Amino acid sequence: MLFKLLIFPGFLFLLLCAFVFDWVDRRMLARFQGRVGPPWYQPVADFIKLPTKEDTLPQGVNATVAAALPMLALAAVLTASVYVPVAGVVSASFEGDLIVVLFLLSLPALTYFLAGWISVGVYSILGGHRSLLQYFSYEVPFLMAVAGPAVLSGSWSIASIVAYQAQTTWGAVMQPLGFVLAVVGLIGKLKRDPLDIPKAKSEVVSGSLTEFSGRKLALWRLSMNMQTVVGIFLLVNLFFGESRFFDVLPAFPVFGLKALSILLLLATASAIYARLRIDQLADLGWRILAPLALLQILANVGIGG
Amino acid sequence: MNIEVALRELLHPIVRWARRKSPWVLHYNSGGCNGCDIEILDTLTPRYDVERLGILKEASPRHADILLCTGPVTRQSRDRLRLIYDQMPEPKWVAAVGSCCCSGGVFQGAYNVLGGVDHVVPVDMYIPGCPCRPEAIIDGLARLLELIQ
Repeated sequence: MLFKLLIFPGFLFLLLCAFVFDWVDRRMLARFQGRVGPPWYQPVADFIKLPTKEDTLPQGVNATVAAALPMLALAAVLTASVYVPVAGVVSASFEGDLIVVLFLLSLPALTYFLAGWISVGVYSILGGHRSLLQYFSYEVPFLMAVAGPAVLSGSWSIASIVAYQAQTTWGAVMQPLGFVLAVVGLIGKLKRDPLDIPKAKSEVVSGSLTEFSGRKLALWRLSMNMQTVVGIFLLVNLFFGESRFFDVLPAFPVFGLKALSILLLLATASAIYARLRIDQLADLGWRILAPLALLQILANVGIGG
Repeated sequence: MNIEVALRELLHPIVRWARRKSPWVLHYNSGGCNGCDIEILDTLTPRYDVERLGILKEASPRHADILLCTGPVTRQSRDRLRLIYDQMPEPKWVAAVGSCCCSGGVFQGAYNVLGGVDHVVPVDMYIPGCPCRPEAIIDGLARLLELIQ
């Protein structure tokens, strides 16, 4: 159990994945833009450099809360990772763990808002407000899209959803609309490029994280990268579960390939789409994504019974 | 206490390596003509791809390691330059980009100009040129990284 929590598929494996995914992501974006991109050790160098820098805070900021918030975000993501299987290996599982994972994955959005709220600065507060508005736009379609596979398989446990796909076929094949919506929701959740409204550099400097430096910034970046990894692993489990088609190949490389494919989707989206305005995102979320997600759930009820 | 010193000695090469491989820059124009700013933008475009060296342009002073200054320091921007420099967390470095930033250039002696950026903040690397080419900026930054201990 301790091995599962600390090494595989727990903390150390996730740390490694966070670095690898960060590098692959930046490298793919660079290739899309016709450049070479950073060397393979770049995320490690960034992560070592940041804690060795001075830890500054503006006057009037509660130091305890500022130190606790990034840790809380990281802890929520790591706790969620306990229930997300990696190639069939999972540290803990029970009926209903999907709901717990979704709840834990939405906690970082709250800490991100609070980080902007406690920082005494216009850009931070503006970024925090934008992050909350964005949260209300993407979270509902994302939750409904992720509930699709659960409705289809008649179970709220990630392991049973994976097992259901082993009997039938990939979730993404049965509910392509739900998969697309889940990817869009994930982009919003991770504040990645087309939906990086809360931390848009040319508008609000770095959003909530403007006033953070040193080891707190390193923790924020790590929690963001780990959230990317856990979110992608969750989508792989829900929409590309083990299928009979791949039975000949060992599970682990196939799982890695699926995860990297979803990362490629995210990198493509950030390379080809420009940033949306916050009102455009609210429009998109409530007028288009949410009704489509509802449609997918109704269809799933029809198929799954 | 000795263990702490020994640990610091042991970690020093790793920390130095990380600092040399991950310099994040902040760009501030303290009153120039915009020529050098365009060259800095050039440097950050895909054609020159400074992300190969780990260089990222950050928007917040709190995230930056190197302050890229352009233009001479005018009396109006002196306090802002000082504020931005003070907001950056230690250890930090300053690179003066362009002739005006190095010495005041053609604006030297003007009633509203203090002179080069070294009148206000300590400068670690001077990159002359009017405006300096992106190759010169990359070369200057690479030499600045070699100086990092």
